[in-house]
Amino acid sequence: MGLNDPQWGKNKGDSGPPDLDDVLRNFNKKINDMFGQKKSGGGGDDGPRTQGSKPQSNGSIILILGLLVVVWLGSGFYIVDEGHRGVVLRFGQYVDTSSAGLRWHFPYPVERVEVVNVSQVRTVEIGYRNNVRSKVLREALMLTDDENIIDIQFAVQYILNDPENFLFKNRNPDEAVLQAAETAIRQVIGKSKMDFVLYEGREQVAANATQLMQKILDRYEIGILISRVTMQNAQPPEQVQAAFDDAVKAGQDRERQKNEGQAYANDVIPRAAGNAARLIQESEGYKQRVIVSAEGDASRFEQILTEYSKAPNVTRERLYLDMMQQVLSNTSKIVVDQKNGNNLLYLPLDKLINISGSTSVSPATTSPAVQETTPDSSLRARESFRSREREIR
Amino acid sequence: MKSFTSVFSGIIIAIFFLGSSAIYIVDERQQAILFQLGEVIDVKIDPGLYFKIPIAQNVRFFEKRILTMDTEEPERFITSEKKNVLVDLFVKWRIVDVKQYYISVRGDEGLAQTRLAQTINASIRDEFGNRTVHDVVSGERDVIMEIMRQKADNDARSIGVEVVDVRLKRVDLPQEVSESVYRRMEAERKRVANELRSTGAAESEKIRADADKQREIILAEAYREAQKTMGDGDSQAAAIYAAAFQKDSEFYAFWRSIDAYKQSFKNKGDMMVLEPTSDFFKYLKNPAVSK
Repeated sequence: MGLNDPQWGKNKGDSGPPDLDDVLRNFNKKINDMFGQKKSGGGGDDGPRTQGSKPQSNGSIILILGLLVVVWLGSGFYIVDEGHRGVVLRFGQYVDTSSAGLRWHFPYPVERVEVVNVSQVRTVEIGYRNNVRSKVLREALMLTDDENIIDIQFAVQYILNDPENFLFKNRNPDEAVLQAAETAIRQVIGKSKMDFVLYEGREQVAANATQLMQKILDRYEIGILISRVTMQNAQPPEQVQAAFDDAVKAGQDRERQKNEGQAYANDVIPRAAGNAARLIQESEGYKQRVIVSAEGDASRFEQILTEYSKAPNVTRERLYLDMMQQVLSNTSKIVVDQKNGNNLLYLPLDKLINISGSTSVSPATTSPAVQETTPDSSLRARESFRSREREIR
Repeated sequence: MKSFTSVFSGIIIAIFFLGSSAIYIVDERQQAILFQLGEVIDVKIDPGLYFKIPIAQNVRFFEKRILTMDTEEPERFITSEKKNVLVDLFVKWRIVDVKQYYISVRGDEGLAQTRLAQTINASIRDEFGNRTVHDVVSGERDVIMEIMRQKADNDARSIGVEVVDVRLKRVDLPQEVSESVYRRMEAERKRVANELRSTGAAESEKIRADADKQREIILAEAYREAQKTMGDGDSQAAAIYAAAFQKDSEFYAFWRSIDAYKQSFKNKGDMMVLEPTSDFFKYLKNPAVSK
């Protein structure tokens, strides 16, 4: 396959060896002549050995030439790997494209084959080399529509879809891809706003760039299909990175503040609702209490009234005496005869109060509720007990 | 016979050399001009095998493929608002009239590219000089490229060249201007950041205030409900009391007073100063007293 040197025919066409057509013709003629000669001489394959020196030399020439022809024809075999295409040129002119398998072409110098890989995905990188960190700022920094500068890296993947065009229509097609990629992406970025490129429109940018790139390359009939443009990185330039980060942080701060406000609201409103519920329940309780106790009071009064109306004087007297007994038994008493005109009577009232108060005032202050309700209820209980007793009697 | 062999091989070699200088192959990628003693006598554009007269005729090959002119370093141009921009571009071109091409630039690619570069340079100055940076970068990029292509193409035809495409690769601001762009971008971000923060604070405050308002309303409404309920209870109770006590209001006053006395004097600390003549003590003085 060394005969298929791709350099062949490029520059040395005029001085090189593409002259075998004539040689071949002459050669064939010669061989025919020789065979004719040999046949007339009655020779076979074994002729050269048995006969004289003249046919022997002829025979060896024939053999050598025949061998050369076989070797020459054999050199026309070539193998096209899967995913490759062999482009066959006859005297420099394109004749055929062969697919994978064992193929044969007219050997050098009549036909040549150039094998190209059509399945391999090729890549060009814009704005970086090999690693996204190794930036090429000259390529990476681009102007946007709103005259901002962004730092962008992307990779273009492409395959050959037309091996003939790929070989014949452009000098250095791979470089053309790089150029088309750069111009296309810059055009797309140049038409987009910075925020669009950086945030919401990344996919759109890549898609537009792919489209534009393909359009440019189609114009060159380059035989290349752009399969994918991926944006590796799109960022504000390093010089302003801090400010951008701060803006992102500010966005977070805003969310945080909102959440804090919401948290406050979530704390306050349910609490208020709880307090409101308590107020309402308490009022309901108060209402029930007031009504029920009114009913109770009224019922008690009515019951006593029934008995009272049966014997008003006795009941009245009894109630009065009951009350006086209870009141007087619970109080310090001083009986003073005022009519005797003893106006100068001196009572150490404060001392009296202190003496009596030291024993009974303190419980009154410590537990007023008990103090208030228990005598009351016990009193009432006693009262009702008595009235019941009376009724029985 | 030996001499025949040597003569034969000599002839073959001679034919070989003669033949090799009598034929030439034009590749798919090439086109050729056939010269006879310096004069152009034929142009071969189609690929294939061709013959020529050895020695008297010679052939030169030229590219048929699309070639690229890519400027190495970006050049400065001034836009209509007197701003400098750095422009980097590439040109795709192709030899279409090889004879003309040979005559005009002696078939020298470098020379042809210089020629193209001059034309394009001039047309960039024209086009950029009439446009703002914004137009050049985004708005009319396509238009500019197409105009430049047409201009370059018109001119290139005279040297047998077709300009397939002229494309602006980079249109950048020079370093000094870039710095100020960065400053502006920074300021802009700061503005955005501040706006975000203050709107955040505002919204937070709104939410809090709204919560406080809701709290007040909820409590007030509850108070209203509570008062209503309590009033309702009070009124019902009053009605019940009135209904009962109306039956004997004089006795009620008596009975209620008794209750009140009991409630008022329940501690030893309470003190009563009594008159011995009071009705209560009537039996104390005289057990025989009767009504």
